[in-house]
Amino acid sequence: MTIFQVNVTIENKPGISDPEGQTILNDLVLKGTHKTVSNIKTAKMLKFTIQENDKKSAQSKVQEICDELRIYNPMVSIVTIDVFEN
Amino acid sequence: MSLEEQELAELKSKIGRDPTSTELQIVAAEWSEHCSYKSSKRHLKMLPMDGPLVINEKGYDSGVLDVGDGYVVTAHIESHNHPSAVEPYGGAATGVGGVIRDILSAGTRPIAIFDGLRFGDIETDLQARWLFKNAVTGIADYGNCLGIPTIGGEVEFDECYKNYALVDVAALGFGKKENLIKNHAKKDDIVVLMGGSTGRDGIGGSQFASDSLESEDRSAVQIPDPFIEKLIIEAVLQARNDGLIHAMKDLGGGGLSCAISETADALDIGIEMDVDKVHTRESDMTPDEIMVSESQERMLIVTSKIKLKKLEEICKKFRIGCSVIGLVKFDNQVHIKKGEKTVANLSADVVANATLLDLPSKEPSYLKTIEDEQKFKPISDYSALMMKLLASPNIASKIWVYGQYDHEVGIRTVVKPGTDASVLRLDNGKYLSAKIDGNPKQCYINPREGAIGCFEEACRNVVCTGAKPIGMLDHLQFGNPKDPEIFWTFLESLKGLTDFAKFFKIPCVGGKVSLYNETPTGSIKPTPVIGVIGLIDKKPSVPQKISQDDCLLIIGDTKNELGGSEYFEYIHKFVGGKCPTVNFEDSKKHMTSVLDIIDKNLIKSAHDCSKGGLAVAVSEICMTNQIGCKVSLDKVPGEKLDVDRILFSESHSRYLLSFDKKNISMIEEILKKNKVSFEQIGQFGGNQIQFTNASKLIIDLDLKKAHEIWLHALPNLVLHGKKSV
Repeated sequence: MTIFQVNVTIENKPGISDPEGQTILNDLVLKGTHKTVSNIKTAKMLKFTIQENDKKSAQSKVQEICDELRIYNPMVSIVTIDVFEN
Repeated sequence: MSLEEQELAELKSKIGRDPTSTELQIVAAEWSEHCSYKSSKRHLKMLPMDGPLVINEKGYDSGVLDVGDGYVVTAHIESHNHPSAVEPYGGAATGVGGVIRDILSAGTRPIAIFDGLRFGDIETDLQARWLFKNAVTGIADYGNCLGIPTIGGEVEFDECYKNYALVDVAALGFGKKENLIKNHAKKDDIVVLMGGSTGRDGIGGSQFASDSLESEDRSAVQIPDPFIEKLIIEAVLQARNDGLIHAMKDLGGGGLSCAISETADALDIGIEMDVDKVHTRESDMTPDEIMVSESQERMLIVTSKIKLKKLEEICKKFRIGCSVIGLVKFDNQVHIKKGEKTVANLSADVVANATLLDLPSKEPSYLKTIEDEQKFKPISDYSALMMKLLASPNIASKIWVYGQYDHEVGIRTVVKPGTDASVLRLDNGKYLSAKIDGNPKQCYINPREGAIGCFEEACRNVVCTGAKPIGMLDHLQFGNPKDPEIFWTFLESLKGLTDFAKFFKIPCVGGKVSLYNETPTGSIKPTPVIGVIGLIDKKPSVPQKISQDDCLLIIGDTKNELGGSEYFEYIHKFVGGKCPTVNFEDSKKHMTSVLDIIDKNLIKSAHDCSKGGLAVAVSEICMTNQIGCKVSLDKVPGEKLDVDRILFSESHSRYLLSFDKKNISMIEEILKKNKVSFEQIGQFGGNQIQFTNASKLIIDLDLKKAHEIWLHALPNLVLHGKKSV
């Protein structure tokens, strides 16, 4: 068994609006001199520390947890899962 | 999104050619049940909509009532059932946003929000728990951010809403009569779209709401943005004060398609608009998508070219988008262009007026035997049963819900949630009271009497605050209307409401019909939700603390009416029996008497008897006042009944009055004069809630223990999955 760090990023699906990101873009970033920025999206990240046999089972276990416990709503959001060996 | 075959044929014959793809999208949105009311409109006309206080203007999305001294109150009710069943947080929040904009579009400031929420059995169903928790958070987050108090509502759970949610939102507005928007348009006027940008969210929402919810087709998700909504409210009200608005409409179901065609039709004008002028979130949107997008927080405004500059300045000040998207014409056409190219050109009358259906109806077969009662085992321990009822999700205190809502912002709230109805202070020294009520259990057993019961309950609730009912909102929620049995239940409910409204001269000032509320296991029970608005000219009845030796009096007979009661359904798991009916004459006498007694300042509080019957109503008074009470069941007026029936029957037109015993003779005098059936049934004091029958103690509850259970049962269940009893 190895200890893995699994990062779960939850963000709105493409095309679904993101008021928080838009506010940061329009009312903060673009008000300064950072004119090269064209978009900002907000997301929530959960960092799991998990003990599993390999990378693949760490990923699938975390995905399973997120689905089962409704950590995100698949109608609205997508999740990206990145696994790192500790 | 599509039209049915015969609707397509009809459209072709009306316009004399094949429609373009954009035209198809526009018509499909506008002819959907959600926007056109095609199944129900023909019948809704039976409701009385006029009254001495009602102000009718063309193109209003909300009802307007004159409350005197140059002030008006506006009211509207909407639901967001389908979106909330998919995404409870966003669905419930955007539902609040939609109804707020309906209030705003008459030119009044929204001052209160009400929510009626219904879900599956949260004791066993985790999905229902998830929906409930998130819908409440959605409403709280949205309403609280807007600075509009959420001051009332109701929450109910029933098997029939498994995997589904009913989220009803009502709102009240207040303003000066002279500031009402008189919807009109002049030559050379322009059409402005104001507010949030148009994106791909909620595409096909109105069509979606007009279909039964299939498991996979759940694409219409809208993301709430209360801060933009708040800016829109302030910008619109300033534009109103500056006289910049000729006509206004909010964008709801059907998006631009419906707003443009309904505005053109209502004002008898034509509108030519260019989709390229619409401020969009994504650059590659097609005209079809722009026309039917249901992105939230947008308003359509008709103004003149001269006033535009000022309007743009206001939008700039509030940092909200504002684009001139079209022109007013006088050809009654809805003409949609993309740049120079025409993508749709239809008569507004054709688009806005779908052919109304005359659907067949048939009495449902289940009703033939529904009134037959089963025999139940006698109850051995009523005290234990009472504790179980007090902990049941439908009866337990809802403080966990309304405690999350800011109900005081705006400092108008005089009587706060948790009582029968909340009361708001108006600027002209009068007070406004309002409540929404529904009862699907009784409406299932008898759609007509059940609907009347909801109406009377809402009236009772506002009467308990000393208010006279002046207007009603109806929200009729049913399953698939193409099923004749379901359509019959719709018609019966509507007829019942009409009879009651006519008898009491309470006009219907607004409403909504939501059909196709189906879950994977079948149709929901008939769920009309009725809102009643009451006006108090002098002083509201603010509940005062009950003290030792105060008296408890009941008005109205308790009848053998356990059908659809919490006792039958929660304790015995039995659906059936005879549901309570309202005697109109008695109901009127009781209302007048209670109002008279409150006016003479003779009582400390009035409480209506409804869910859970007399036993629960008395316990609620005791628990909220932290005082015991001893009630003699043998004194309760009405025919002679078994103990369980007296305790738990949910008969209507009953009120519980608590008062200082020195007032008893004056109260009795009023009640006798009005020939009202009443009896003094108990006295407050001590720390026990007790019910006796022929001097035998039937129920004996420790006040503190009962209160603890009643108060914490709901959060224990929702947050910890723990049953309290």
